Amino acid sequence: MPSQKLTLIAIAGLAACVAGPAEAQQSKELTFWSHWAAEMPKRTFVEEAIKQFEAKNPGIKIKQTWYEKTALYAGLKTALRAGQAPDIFYAEPDQVEYMENGFLLDLSDLNWSAVEPWAKEAWSYKGKPYGLPLEAWTVELYYNKKVMAELGIAVPANLQLAPDAFLDMIKKAKAKGITPMALGVGDRPYPGAHLVHEALLKKLGLEDYGALMRGKLAWSDPRVVETLKWLAGLTEAGLLPTTFTTLKLAEAHIYFHTNPGALTFLNGSWYTSRAFNPPDKGGQPKDFPLGIMKFPSVPGAVCNECRSIAIGGSYVGNAATKHAKEVLAFFNSFASFEMGNRWLDNVQVQTGIKSDPAKLTGPQAADYFKMIATTNAGAKYYFGIPIQVMTGKPKEVFIQVMNNAFPAGTISVEDAVKQMTAAY
Amino acid sequence: MPVGQQQTSGASVCSTPWGTIGVFLLPSLLIYAAFTAYPAVRTIWNSFHKVLPRADEAVGLANYAELMRDDIFWRSVRNTITWACTSPLIEVSIALLLALALYAKVPGARFFRIAWFTPVLMSYVVVGILWLWIYNFDWGPVNVALRALGLASWAKAWLGDPKTALPSLIFVTSWMWVGFNMVVLLAALHSLPREVLEAAELDNCGWGGKLVYVILPLLRATLLNLVVLSFIGKMKIFDLVWITTKGNPLWATETVSTYVYKRAFEWTTFDLGYPSTIAALWFVIVLAAVLALTWLFRLREKLEY
Repeated sequence: MPSQKLTLIAIAGLAACVAGPAEAQQSKELTFWSHWAAEMPKRTFVEEAIKQFEAKNPGIKIKQTWYEKTALYAGLKTALRAGQAPDIFYAEPDQVEYMENGFLLDLSDLNWSAVEPWAKEAWSYKGKPYGLPLEAWTVELYYNKKVMAELGIAVPANLQLAPDAFLDMIKKAKAKGITPMALGVGDRPYPGAHLVHEALLKKLGLEDYGALMRGKLAWSDPRVVETLKWLAGLTEAGLLPTTFTTLKLAEAHIYFHTNPGALTFLNGSWYTSRAFNPPDKGGQPKDFPLGIMKFPSVPGAVCNECRSIAIGGSYVGNAATKHAKEVLAFFNSFASFEMGNRWLDNVQVQTGIKSDPAKLTGPQAADYFKMIATTNAGAKYYFGIPIQVMTGKPKEVFIQVMNNAFPAGTISVEDAVKQMTAAY
Repeated sequence: MPVGQQQTSGASVCSTPWGTIGVFLLPSLLIYAAFTAYPAVRTIWNSFHKVLPRADEAVGLANYAELMRDDIFWRSVRNTITWACTSPLIEVSIALLLALALYAKVPGARFFRIAWFTPVLMSYVVVGILWLWIYNFDWGPVNVALRALGLASWAKAWLGDPKTALPSLIFVTSWMWVGFNMVVLLAALHSLPREVLEAAELDNCGWGGKLVYVILPLLRATLLNLVVLSFIGKMKIFDLVWITTKGNPLWATETVSTYVYKRAFEWTTFDLGYPSTIAALWFVIVLAAVLALTWLFRLREKLEY
């Protein structure tokens, strides 16, 4: 009997040895939560990347779940705290709380030679990089070429209207009953602020603007006040839609290109991810005469070539994952010129992965990136928009005042400055 | 031991089957403890700590001190109290008028009963989206009607203007809950003792007199319950604000609940201590207000009889 028992144990042990590694290999499932549920080009890009990665790594499966951003962020906050977060998830570089609390996997071993250095910098915290910067974007001023021509407005060769010409454009559009600029803050904390931060950046230049963002330069600085007064003049002239405070982002896109139609639209260069969808899915009409020009020059500006560039949607690893190597391998599968160009071709938004727009194959993407390249030629960049740089109360006040109330004209320049000053 | 005493003590043993009571009570007690008592106690405990994912740090009354200086919190308190004090009065008084109209069997009473009650059946999400459309500046029915009446200068972005945003939302909740209050009051009207009403009629009491001296005093308990229910509901209001304005513009519609959510999930921090402090303080305020209302009503009742 004892010998029989020993034999059984030995067989069981052998079976475990044989089955163990295979089972372990099969059980390597990476969980992955991502925003972009409604953004098909990005979804398709990521889903294809997953398929490709799984085909090359048969022992690894990726279980993907798509979310909308708000639900994802709320879910992640509780899941991370409870130790139930996925191995890989979507994040943006302003979410410093993830890094502060040690929730993110150190990605120092990623193939960073395939990533733009400034994109790596955006994701660096205390000397270590934490995010795969997929999406990058600049603030662009889109316009309807046909309507602009009908109004008799000539966009200059440098693509930047002078302050007077910009005001004239607003007046001409208003006189014809056309909204000069489609913009709404109904569901986002930044579209209205684009007006404010792009103007302030040009006026102050990179260094002083950075100081303003970090609370080292007073909002009562005469240059800031002067710029806000100039902006107030533009909004008083009727720059924005009457529905500005309640217009949602998706609605603002449609407002610009379809109904009722606006002359310009100030938006991130990810405009394409909605506007290049088929028209029945909220995209711009076929043959829409899309043009891109620079944000107008600002009176007395020291850096009219300055503009904001931001890292948007990125992927990060969970520091508590049991599959750190596999997570890194998955991220490395994105880090190549080929993937960078595929992103540009399919998603048609800039990326932090190194790429070459000259080699794009899709005609729509090639045209679009030519326009983006032209408006960005010679630009000096400030990395991040205010809500990515600010935290806590200054951020909350900035959203309420500079994104919403000030552009809406419900608060004076003096009150806006007072509120921002009190926030620090 | 006397026989009688023995019987009594035997009967008392028989009449209190603690084991059975325990078995029946235990599931609900466990659920109550897990989902109500523990979270409430934990929230209060959190309010004295900085609650970070891997370490809790006791901070004493620091969170409460910060809360006292937090002007956004005080704006949210002001908004919530305004809402909780005005809405119940509007809802209950309009509901009373509608219930009386139905009680008096106005023509089309059946239709009106369904029509007035329907908004209660909708969720806040649906109601929020619906009223976003109704308040739309360009094509919303409110502004379209104003323009049609030659009052174009009155048209405005109702939810986008700090002066009108909160009243506009208060109107929405009143529209939504009037039907519920009306149905409850109608049921109460139908259950009024007929003999009292008939006695008033025999005394040549008119409709006005009957309403003021008979019906309203008899309905007082129902009215007060409705006011308290509505008050508590508005002190906790979140969904409608979140769908429509998210507390904008300029915190004009920020309520305590939306501010707690923002501090817990939208500020760049994992700390749950500060949001817990807001929740704990607000819990105490709501509890105190409800107790005060109850005490007030009981007191008046005693004075009258």
